[in-house]
Amino acid sequence: MIELKGVRKRYRGRYVLNGLSFTADKGNITCLIGMNGAGKSTVMKAIMGLVPVKEGQILVDGKPRGRWIYEKISFVPDHLTMPLSMKMSEGLTFMADFYASWNAERAAELMRFFRLEPSEKIGNLSKGTAAKYNLVLGLAPNSDYVLMDEPFSGIDLFSREMIADVFSSELIEERGVLLTTHEIGEVEHLIDKAVILQDGKAEMEFDCETMRSEEGKSIVDVMREVYSR
Amino acid sequence: MRNYLKLLHMEIHRFRYILFALMGMTALVQMCAIAFNAMGEINERNVYFEQTGRAPEEFFAAMSYTRAVQETQFWFAVPVGLSIAVLVIYAFLIWYRDWFGRSTFAYRLLSLPSERRNIYFAKLTAILTFVFVLIGFQLLLMPIGRAIFAMIAPAHQLQPSYIADAIFANQAFKILLPRSFAEFFVNYGLGVISLLVLFASILLERSYRWLGIVYGLAYAGFCALLMVYPMLALGLDYSTGYFYTEEAYAIQMAIDALIVVSSVWLGLYLLKKKVSV
Repeated sequence: MIELKGVRKRYRGRYVLNGLSFTADKGNITCLIGMNGAGKSTVMKAIMGLVPVKEGQILVDGKPRGRWIYEKISFVPDHLTMPLSMKMSEGLTFMADFYASWNAERAAELMRFFRLEPSEKIGNLSKGTAAKYNLVLGLAPNSDYVLMDEPFSGIDLFSREMIADVFSSELIEERGVLLTTHEIGEVEHLIDKAVILQDGKAEMEFDCETMRSEEGKSIVDVMREVYSR
Repeated sequence: MRNYLKLLHMEIHRFRYILFALMGMTALVQMCAIAFNAMGEINERNVYFEQTGRAPEEFFAAMSYTRAVQETQFWFAVPVGLSIAVLVIYAFLIWYRDWFGRSTFAYRLLSLPSERRNIYFAKLTAILTFVFVLIGFQLLLMPIGRAIFAMIAPAHQLQPSYIADAIFANQAFKILLPRSFAEFFVNYGLGVISLLVLFASILLERSYRWLGIVYGLAYAGFCALLMVYPMLALGLDYSTGYFYTEEAYAIQMAIDALIVVSSVWLGLYLLKKKVSV
């Protein structure tokens, strides 16, 4: 379980995260929902230790973070994180060189699934292809958790369908996924838990299935209620 | 250690084309300068022979590679100066290229399951490697230049030259390729200290952004002041100073060591605890 307890993060003179607490469980897809600038990406970066937090605790499987989390958690940002001069195959070699959890077979399988050409330069990838390549880098390791920041942003319909297919595949099943997206409608049926961010806090944290069956509300309905308050 | 070496290899690999271009440019400019100098001198001798009918050896001194290097030192210094400028710029870029642009490699580097200090030391040693590769290449070019010069100059008009003399004939080489180890230690020591201070300042900026620029400039300024203070106040370069020369040197060395330790510590601390993407 990834657990945030009272996390505070200041950015440009205001608290982007102001006592944020929530959990993301293994085996579940948790979606962070919020308006632009609500701090969704900052949460992901804070979990990965890519931005320092001012206060609060971030625990992974009950333990404070250390560099060991990088074998346990994969991060899929919304942009490329490999040098543009590298070929895709070189990027995979780089990952294999550094990560003990890297699964080369799965990487090759994913490359085939997304129809990616290993010899192509990373710098030549279109936005959609770059997103698929990012998913390869994020899903190939045998990590317990995957953080995905806007995996559908700016991507064409067919690529979105391919990425959405991944969510319902065995690649995700056993892992804990923490996701941010603006395209809620597209993935609503896949999400187990939603966390609505407002003013740097988790305004609401709910089980989507329970919300649907007990109150008959979709995630978008709940969002409307929260943001119209 | 394995991860450090892998990162170092990657850093060198990323700079390889620029490094080869600098080496190519240095070789081309310096060898052309030597060739043109030798041909110009032969031409002068031929003109003298045509005009007077007398052997040029009677009027001209024998052709010397050392003198040719001295006469062409501007053209020798141009690629050297350009290489230094490129390396100074790259000392910034080696960090900033990972943070800016379409791909932010910093995300990946900072998420590696190895100590972050490997990133710092890989970047540091990459820059030092580039410096010493270029210096080594320059040393290699000196005998090649002499061979080219000897091929152009008529054998009976050629005076043998030592490479050490040729190196000393160029003002820039006096600093880059000093004759004594003490000078080498001082010159390159100052270079390494400057690089460490620059890295600490860059990481201050990457950690605190706008405020970090102020911190970075203040830190670099403070270190610079600390380094020149003994020279200004303790009379390091004056025999009339309050301290004996050895004492002043010892104080200078202690201050330099302090700057090295504080810069490395600060850089590693910021990279581990404060830096953000």
